[in-house]
Amino acid sequence: MDLSFTPEEQKFREDIRAWVKENLPPEISHKVHNALELTRDDMQRWAKILGKKGWLGYGWPKEFGGPGWTAIEKHLFEEETALAGAPRIVPFGPVMVAPVIQAFGNAEQHKRFLPGIASGEVWWSQGYSEPGSGSDLASIKTKAERKGDKYIVNGQKTWTTLGQYGEWIFCLVRTSSEGKPQTGISFLLIDMKSPGVTVRPIKLLDGSHEVNEVWFDNVEVPAENLIGEENKGWTYAKHLLSHERTNIADVNRAKRELERLKRIAKREGAWDDMRFRDEIAKLEVDVVALEMLVLRVLSASSSGKNPLDIAGLLKIKGSEIQQRYSELMMLAGGAYSLPLIREAMAAGWQGNFPGGHPELAPLASTYFNMRKTTIYGGSNEVQRNIVAQTVLG
Amino acid sequence: MDFNFSDDQQQLRDAVAKWVEKGYGFERRRQIEAAGGFSREAWDELAELGLGGLYIPEDEGGLGMGATEGMVVMEELGRGIVLEPLAQSFIAGAVIAGHADQDTKDSWLPRIAGGQALVVLAHQERKARYRLDVCEATAAKAGTGWTVTGSKGLVPAGDEADAFIVPAKADGKIALFLVERASDGVQARGYGTQDGSRAAEVVIDKAAASLIASDGLPVLEHAVDIGIAASCAEAVGVMDKTLAITVEYMNTRKQFGVAIASFQALRHRVADMKMQLELARSMSYYASLKLNAPAAERRQAAARAKYQLGVSMRFVGQQAVQLHGGIGVTDEYIVSHYFKKLTQLEMTFGDTLHHLGEVSSRMQESAGVFA
Repeated sequence: MDLSFTPEEQKFREDIRAWVKENLPPEISHKVHNALELTRDDMQRWAKILGKKGWLGYGWPKEFGGPGWTAIEKHLFEEETALAGAPRIVPFGPVMVAPVIQAFGNAEQHKRFLPGIASGEVWWSQGYSEPGSGSDLASIKTKAERKGDKYIVNGQKTWTTLGQYGEWIFCLVRTSSEGKPQTGISFLLIDMKSPGVTVRPIKLLDGSHEVNEVWFDNVEVPAENLIGEENKGWTYAKHLLSHERTNIADVNRAKRELERLKRIAKREGAWDDMRFRDEIAKLEVDVVALEMLVLRVLSASSSGKNPLDIAGLLKIKGSEIQQRYSELMMLAGGAYSLPLIREAMAAGWQGNFPGGHPELAPLASTYFNMRKTTIYGGSNEVQRNIVAQTVLG
Repeated sequence: MDFNFSDDQQQLRDAVAKWVEKGYGFERRRQIEAAGGFSREAWDELAELGLGGLYIPEDEGGLGMGATEGMVVMEELGRGIVLEPLAQSFIAGAVIAGHADQDTKDSWLPRIAGGQALVVLAHQERKARYRLDVCEATAAKAGTGWTVTGSKGLVPAGDEADAFIVPAKADGKIALFLVERASDGVQARGYGTQDGSRAAEVVIDKAAASLIASDGLPVLEHAVDIGIAASCAEAVGVMDKTLAITVEYMNTRKQFGVAIASFQALRHRVADMKMQLELARSMSYYASLKLNAPAAERRQAAARAKYQLGVSMRFVGQQAVQLHGGIGVTDEYIVSHYFKKLTQLEMTFGDTLHHLGEVSSRMQESAGVFA
């Protein structure tokens, strides 16, 4: 039992901190610290800076060109980048599909796909959910029919985050309707520039264009884009979901946002109301407890023991915290969180925000946007089912 | 960063768990409760395991162990809802070993370690609620020594104790004294408490006292933080067992022809209990591992932990009773006793609202495990 980092880990943290300070463009961190809109270019720019250093795939093992960091080193990297105001790494390529390609793809696929992901050149999207398949993901209907050396894909994916920028998409597709639903699913990589692929925006409640529908109309996909074996895709998808289990809790971002909440509450006077401050105090305890939970999982996995079976708890608590800080920030802004002035949510706006503080402009929108966190990635109710299964059998 | 227990710590855990399982069953506990809520015999058995001297240096007859070992022991005692207040020996051992003069150490520490002496903290006053800086008891110089006058409440096993560690104001400042129960002017009126254990009102009227620390408040705060860490660990043990009892019942009890564990509304409640338990366990680790940190950091950690534990204890206790249905509100069935223990632990060393206030007033710009 030891609640401290080794001198080597401390040194590692300081090295990361110094590098981030040197390399994170201030105009990007300014946007992150103030929840202003990030453009595709902002996200790509940071991804390429990391890619050049070899850190975009920061969770990758050395054999695939990653840094080969321990679980704790990965955590320290996440913490230092988050606290410095770096954008979250868009996870679909480096965090989600790359580990699947590495674990189940062939040498040819490694050579073909991994370099573009590692460098940040190629933007990946995720094709899992469908209109009829949310929590019940195994019921997907998007069909891939083998015709010679090609698959013909027909169907529709939805909730595709940032799919408007996507160049490639990894999809779960149905290749068989026999047996259990899980056994007829394959994992297919699809070039989004292929004829028959259509991306349509879905406008969210906060007015943002973050997610999309992706339609497949007789899309021809070369058979060499299949990962692993046909009808084994569900196993690979589960591998993906189990990967980076602590990442989903996003505790480091929560720490940064808690600081921002305190700043806003102090400036807006909410801090002087003891009832309000107590709500922040409760959130502070939540954040510390979540961090301890994350550290316990990291310790268990880095000591080679069975990682604690509390991944579901991390998702539930992490998402509840994200919602809570966005809620309290909006409430801290008071009535002046309500003006809806979209231009004020982008950097560089010189207008006169009602009340005089454009920092309040994005608060309500962020609150509305964050309702997604308890729904996506396996809704929190599904997570409770999983937790209950481990406890009750 | 390491949350694994060493082999020695694991052995200590196994030894305590074995004693709880074999030596402190529900029936024995009932008998102790009926006989007043404290058993000297059980106390001696704990001392035979060396637990009374856990925090006492080896050259004073103790085991010279630390916070992690204390946590391991308290978790196991919690599992058996043991009535005897072992955490008081951690507190007395740490306070006397850390602050008393050599004579006091030599005369008390070996006896605390050996179980012959029960020394408990007597700090609760009627008007203080959970504040440690509110103290009406007073101390006065008498020759080369001191006398103390005041009333202290809810003193654990107070009418069985051999001596008390008592905060009292000397020259307007809180100092800590050791007062023996057998001294002239000391009266202890014992009673049972809600969780089945024993406490006393201790009235001290110009009783002889020996000074432990003249700048007593920081020492009292440290003592209480040891108590908080121990209570948190104990609560984790209680909750662990409470959840296990509930799970077993849900898999056995049938309604509508099926085990009630199959109903989703109930399953989600269990998931929420598991969440509260794991948050609590995390914060219990945190409180114990911060016990040797600088005072401000240690106090902040203790407050954060006790707040989380309070929330968790109330939820797990109430829901365990609810999920049992009718049998949960009987005295005969074991779960209500775990619920009462959790309730009392929440109100020991500061309740949830008190510690929320502490967290709130200690907030800094940044917050995290390391800040």
